[in-house]
Amino acid sequence: MHHPNLTSSVIFGLGFLYLVQLVMNFFWTIRSLKNDGHCRLPSLFGGAEVPVAMWWGLYTAVLAMLTIAHFTGYSSPDSFLIVLPDWFKGLVDVAVSDPKWFFTETVLVFGAIILLRRQLATDTAGWILLNASTVFLSLSLTDWDFRQIVGKPDNVPIVGMLFIVGFFTWLSFKKANENDSRLEQGLGPLEGEDNEKVLVWPDLVYTELIVMIGLTAFLFFWGVCLEAPLEEPASSVKTPNPSKAPWYFLGLQEMLVYYDPWLAGVVFPSTILGGMMALPYIDFNKKGNGYYTFNERKFAISVFLFGFLPLWVGMIVLGTFLRGPNWNMFGIYEYWDVHKLEALNNVNLSEYFWLYGLGVSMPVPDANGSFMSQVGTIVWRESPGIVLTLGYLFLLPSVMAMTIFRNFAFRMGFFRFMVFANLVLLMAALPAKMVLRWLFNLKYLVAIPEYFINI
Amino acid sequence: MAKKPNKDDILSKIRKQGSGTSGGDASAADAAAEKPKAAPAGGPADIMAKIRAQGASGSSSGAAEEKPAAAKKAAPKSPADIMAAIRSQGGGDAGASAAKSADAPVKKAAAAAAPAGDLPPVDEMLRQMKAGKVSGGEAAVAAAPAKPALKVPVRPAKKSAAAGASTRRGFVSWFAAAWVLLTVTSATWVLGLARFMFPNVIVEPPSQFKIGSPSDYPLGTVSTKWTAARGIWVVHTDQYKGKSLIYALASVCTHLGCTPSWLEGEQKFKCPCHGSGFYMTGINFEGPAPRPLERVGLAVAPDGMLEVDKSVKFQEEKGQWEDAKSFVDASLV
Repeated sequence: MHHPNLTSSVIFGLGFLYLVQLVMNFFWTIRSLKNDGHCRLPSLFGGAEVPVAMWWGLYTAVLAMLTIAHFTGYSSPDSFLIVLPDWFKGLVDVAVSDPKWFFTETVLVFGAIILLRRQLATDTAGWILLNASTVFLSLSLTDWDFRQIVGKPDNVPIVGMLFIVGFFTWLSFKKANENDSRLEQGLGPLEGEDNEKVLVWPDLVYTELIVMIGLTAFLFFWGVCLEAPLEEPASSVKTPNPSKAPWYFLGLQEMLVYYDPWLAGVVFPSTILGGMMALPYIDFNKKGNGYYTFNERKFAISVFLFGFLPLWVGMIVLGTFLRGPNWNMFGIYEYWDVHKLEALNNVNLSEYFWLYGLGVSMPVPDANGSFMSQVGTIVWRESPGIVLTLGYLFLLPSVMAMTIFRNFAFRMGFFRFMVFANLVLLMAALPAKMVLRWLFNLKYLVAIPEYFINI
Repeated sequence: MAKKPNKDDILSKIRKQGSGTSGGDASAADAAAEKPKAAPAGGPADIMAKIRAQGASGSSSGAAEEKPAAAKKAAPKSPADIMAAIRSQGGGDAGASAAKSADAPVKKAAAAAAPAGDLPPVDEMLRQMKAGKVSGGEAAVAAAPAKPALKVPVRPAKKSAAAGASTRRGFVSWFAAAWVLLTVTSATWVLGLARFMFPNVIVEPPSQFKIGSPSDYPLGTVSTKWTAARGIWVVHTDQYKGKSLIYALASVCTHLGCTPSWLEGEQKFKCPCHGSGFYMTGINFEGPAPRPLERVGLAVAPDGMLEVDKSVKFQEEKGQWEDAKSFVDASLV
């Protein structure tokens, strides 16, 4: 079962990855020399004035040495030293292989994006983040298990997607920062100056043509280099282990771990689509129309990004890279062991209530009784969950209107506010159920398996 | 006038030069011709307008080729209008030559107008003629439409009686044939489709099959022998309500229908899709599956073999596992 972490071809290939980073940072150093000015060394080193580009030059030199090391030292992979230390791998595995830690981390990252937007959405910070991710990727690729997950033809586009999501989030906050500064000074947004307008012909059309050709060429290259992920013929009695949805549905598949199919597969996706369509009618903030800004639309952007980054992209990442055989959680450097044992024992709320809370046996519907008496018994059995669910959906909006969203309720009016509040609550239902599952092993709030209604 | 000279302009100029009539006439014609959106020549309205313009001007020059655009004011739309125009023309004293040149178009117009029923104007014209108010030339104009107006209903009636009837009959029969053909084809398709639902040979295994002697399934085991081919696990355990029972579980996860795997080491069924877990008994205990795995029918056949009946299902949460058809008591066999 032992797989070598490093082989000669892996090391040689990584050399090219470092070469790309070397070239990128060479040009960045030149740019830094022109733009970044000088900084003072710590007094320990003499306190001399040096250009900031010196640090980038040093980093580029390190990359050059790494490149040379990989291009020359691939003959003896067992003694190759540039690998990730085991303690680091173990630390990362612990940090990501538990859904509650992973979700907490994605929420923290989301909070950092919002709170540190002034610091993170700058050119230099963006470049540092990009380099941090590429170096992390390069070093992680020295691990066999990591290569199995990331290098799978299914998953390669998701790695690319992570960079794209990161770039566009960074870009939007960079533009929003510019506008927010201008708005604080009483100037209009940058987009209002019309200085970014170009002619459709020839500027836009030519750009589109070039991008089209470039992308087509890239797709050809991709299609030739990576084999299509074909599997064995389908069989109704054999399910691949793990069995994964297409990558864009992995968020939904993760939702299915916590909710019944009719909720996670029908109600929630429809709510996402319908809710997106309802957004323009819910929004009463007339600012931020046609230009980037964060300060003028703090609530709207934060709520949307929470739904998009931790709940959608985060769940796709979790489903792609961290879910392994038997749908267990695995670290990114962890071997996909089919026999990994995860102790789970999920309990319904009604069982908690009757068996543990009241210490009595659960009401059992009389198998020979009438239909109505059976339904009555079932509803009585599940009454705690039904009360909680109804309270969540019908009582909580009023409480929200009277407390945290008082201003919203006043400006929106009754119907708009109720739509808004229910959309927010349904979005919050996923993390709420996840937390309940993690903390209390709660399976279902309302469990009526007799009629396929489980919440 | 900075207008481009159009056809009407040119014609009116020619008329101005060529006609020896009064200036008022020419200017009237000119004004009429200047209207840029003159109605196109050729329609009955134009012809009528032409006749009327000639009659009103009192010109007997016979310049019937000019196409004045005075039709705009009258703009006759219906046969009644046309007849009214003819009538109004009678007020003036049109020349015989003009009437002759207009004869053929008027015939056509009258023919077109005839079915709509224009007898009153013709009658009126005849009455006028009898009263002696009109000249002979005008009588010719009035009589000209009268003749075809009488003939038109007769001639087409003859033709339709002879040729039209056979055409319609032929058409109806072809139409019916096409419909019948379409109906027959569709019905054949539907029947073929219905037949498709009852194939001669069903390649799927029968729902009832024998799985060997009960002694093949010792206590405390889950047999995956029949999973790949028939989609069942054969379980022999005493963990469910303390009795030593043999039963067959359908290998379909009660969450979304994937096939769980039996993990011997962990002594559980584990679904690869969303992580649902089931004890050996089939009871769900982890993951999102809301209810236990389903049992299928199991009985001891007369020859002592176990026989599975996949056509019946037994759900634990409905109390159906108490059904004697859902298990075989190992202590009795």
